[in-house]
Amino acid sequence: MFPKLDPLLHSELRLAVMSILAGVDEADFTYLKKQTGATAGNLSVQIDKLTAAGYITVEKGFKGKMPRTTCRMTPAGQEAFGKYVEALREYLSASK
Amino acid sequence: MEQNKEMTAQESLQLISESFNKSRKDILRGSAKYFMLWGALLTVTSLAIYLLWHFTGKPQWNFLWFAMPAIGYPLAALMGKYDEALPQNEVSKMLTGVWRVFGAFAITLSAIAVFLVPMHVTLIIVIIMGLAECMSGVLLKNWPIIIGGFLLGVGGAVFAMLVKNDAQLLIFTLGGVLLLITGLVMKLQYK
Repeated sequence: MFPKLDPLLHSELRLAVMSILAGVDEADFTYLKKQTGATAGNLSVQIDKLTAAGYITVEKGFKGKMPRTTCRMTPAGQEAFGKYVEALREYLSASK
Repeated sequence: MEQNKEMTAQESLQLISESFNKSRKDILRGSAKYFMLWGALLTVTSLAIYLLWHFTGKPQWNFLWFAMPAIGYPLAALMGKYDEALPQNEVSKMLTGVWRVFGAFAITLSAIAVFLVPMHVTLIIVIIMGLAECMSGVLLKNWPIIIGGFLLGVGGAVFAMLVKNDAQLLIFTLGGVLLLITGLVMKLQYK
């Protein structure tokens, strides 16, 4: 019996955001936008979904006079991401 | 990038790996310019003091060393301010930490040597600088940087004991060039 893949993470853009956040303390919205190549609107919607699930936190502030939105992965997000990667590995090893 | 694209397990793992690696490369490439900034500053400062001391015979020119952090830190802060908002990962944080600790040791010991207790500050600083460079190489998993740092620390310590006065400053010129090369290597390694 294979573990079920988390549908929230099994989406290209959300998975890319989580993968980036897995390797850093926190990342700016502009950085995530550049890295994923997504539009601001689309990225914003996906970030809201990840936030609602408790996988990431979003903090709004300022860097100098410029508004800044910072995203950070939560412990729940780290756990879900870890489980997702583990499930993918199981799928792949079973298919070999 | 689409949010609803159906991905296979293979594609998902590939996406995770690519996103993670691309971000890691960007972050480390972003750190490279600080190595180049401090390398250039060290090369110019040490050469300037060497030439001034050599041609005037006055060791007081060594006070110009204190101009280096006075110029370098605001410049580095300015570069960070107008920089692309790059996040920090474990490696970039440790690199920053290693060189901040080196800077704190170097400035404090230099001040103590000048104002309180005379000591062979060139010897001490070249050893800890070599160590910091070596540690950077370990963190970046780059053997040329590890070896360069080792040679700077050990070779520089021997050189500092063998030569006197202004000639010792050339060790730091070499150290500055090594930092510049480290920055260039990082830019190329994480292209």
